[in-house]
Amino acid sequence: MDVIVDGVTQIWGEASTQVVALDRFSHHFRSGRLSCLLGPSGCGKSTLIQIVGGLEPATQGSVGIHAPGRPQDARPLGADSVMVWQNLNLFPWRSVIDNVAFGLEMQGLGRDERYARARALIGSVGLRGFERHLPGQLSGGMRQRVALARALIMERPILLMDEPFAALDAQTKIVMQEELLKIFDQTHKTVLFVTHAIEEAILLGDEVVVMTARPGRVKEVIAINLPRPRSLELVNSPEFGALFDRTFHLIREEVSAAMAQQDAMASAQS
Amino acid sequence: MKRTPRAKLLENVLPALSVVAVLVVWELVVRWRGIAPILLPAPSSIAVYLWRMIVDGTMEYHLGVTLLRIFVGFALAAVSGIALGLLMGMSRIVYRIADVWIAALYPLPKISLIPLLLIWLGSGEAYRIVISAVTAFFPIVISTYSGIRQADRGLIKAAMDLGANTRQIQFKVVIPAAMPSILAGLQLGMGVTIILIVAAEMIGGSSQSGMGYLLISAGQVLETEKVFAALLVLAVMGAAIIKLQQWVDRKVAPWIAHDNR
Repeated sequence: MDVIVDGVTQIWGEASTQVVALDRFSHHFRSGRLSCLLGPSGCGKSTLIQIVGGLEPATQGSVGIHAPGRPQDARPLGADSVMVWQNLNLFPWRSVIDNVAFGLEMQGLGRDERYARARALIGSVGLRGFERHLPGQLSGGMRQRVALARALIMERPILLMDEPFAALDAQTKIVMQEELLKIFDQTHKTVLFVTHAIEEAILLGDEVVVMTARPGRVKEVIAINLPRPRSLELVNSPEFGALFDRTFHLIREEVSAAMAQQDAMASAQS
Repeated sequence: MKRTPRAKLLENVLPALSVVAVLVVWELVVRWRGIAPILLPAPSSIAVYLWRMIVDGTMEYHLGVTLLRIFVGFALAAVSGIALGLLMGMSRIVYRIADVWIAALYPLPKISLIPLLLIWLGSGEAYRIVISAVTAFFPIVISTYSGIRQADRGLIKAAMDLGANTRQIQFKVVIPAAMPSILAGLQLGMGVTIILIVAAEMIGGSSQSGMGYLLISAGQVLETEKVFAALLVLAVMGAAIIKLQQWVDRKVAPWIAHDNR
């Protein structure tokens, strides 16, 4: 499914204290590709994927989900996508299996059926034996897997990921990135992956959409034509190095701009 | 911090030892100085009185009556407080209407209602139950409401994303998310219920039963040993109720203990 974002503008706050988070953001995210949204913090990348997921209304502009052989707007925005959140948003009172099966429960599926499907998915993300644990009893990496399984069980064609690995330690992050690559190679979902880590964006993405500091716009789209399946060794290749340099120079300007904005805001407040 | 076995032993033994030390000093001072039992009875004679009251059943009777009243008053406050708190959290209209009344009545010291309640309800069971339930109702309703209001937006959005409808979000996300706050409100409510029941047994009670009655009647005839015995039982009762409540909380909401967000 293609995701076509057309001129999306997002403005927060009242007239006097307005903040323009996104400014006419347009991009065509192609079906079955993993697109990374890369930008300095505060550039509106999280806001953008929430708008794509139908979880925030955009001030202006539109998001279209295009599937072959289906009239446009046949389903409400958000019905074809599912989100993996930066802070996971697991339900702390629900066991692993009840977190994973949440979406099916909301659809009214019977207990046996949803547990069977949840169990299979929990096994595939390597958490067999932890079905009855509470999220609070798990490590960060394990919680991350629960969040992934909870999204995957929905079997929606578009996966939205908001810096899902940002809070993980370096080793766990590598394992989770490889896991995501494996899932992506198997399922060929359309993935929008928000990150502020250049290496992660290049390693995972078919393209990297570099965003400007606030207000967020598309600064440049870098195609990543590295062969799949990919693994972490790729990081040492000269192609990877060249892409990293190019992306780094683009993002550096924006990070300095974002820092200047933050300084200005801090001094305006004091 | 690493503690040596010796330090650990001291840490476990010293608190008990301090209690024993205080009792011994108390006993010795009362005996040597010949302090009148009316003013300060010796621990040993308090223990004798306590034992007699247990053997002849008066302590059990008064304690049982008080416990029964506490649980009835608390149950009334819990059911009505949680129900109204939930409704306020879910409906703007209910909130608007209830908020006026809560804002007006909450700051009022509830014991000041005693004369009115005595006029309306007489000095029987209804008066004691109502005064304690009314007092406990406010912390419970307020905690429930604020628990609902402060439910994590992120969890609500996540549930929306996973296809939950408004009703499912209320029952499967918002109410569970409010549980820690509701349980905290119930703890506050239990505390004031105990205070108000015992106070109402002391003031204007006609039924001549309960720990409050026992205290005041023993005090009036200067049976100070009985006063101390009743105080001791009340303290143990309060501690036991708190422990029981914490145990119930852990059973009802086991995730709170290891929710490290």
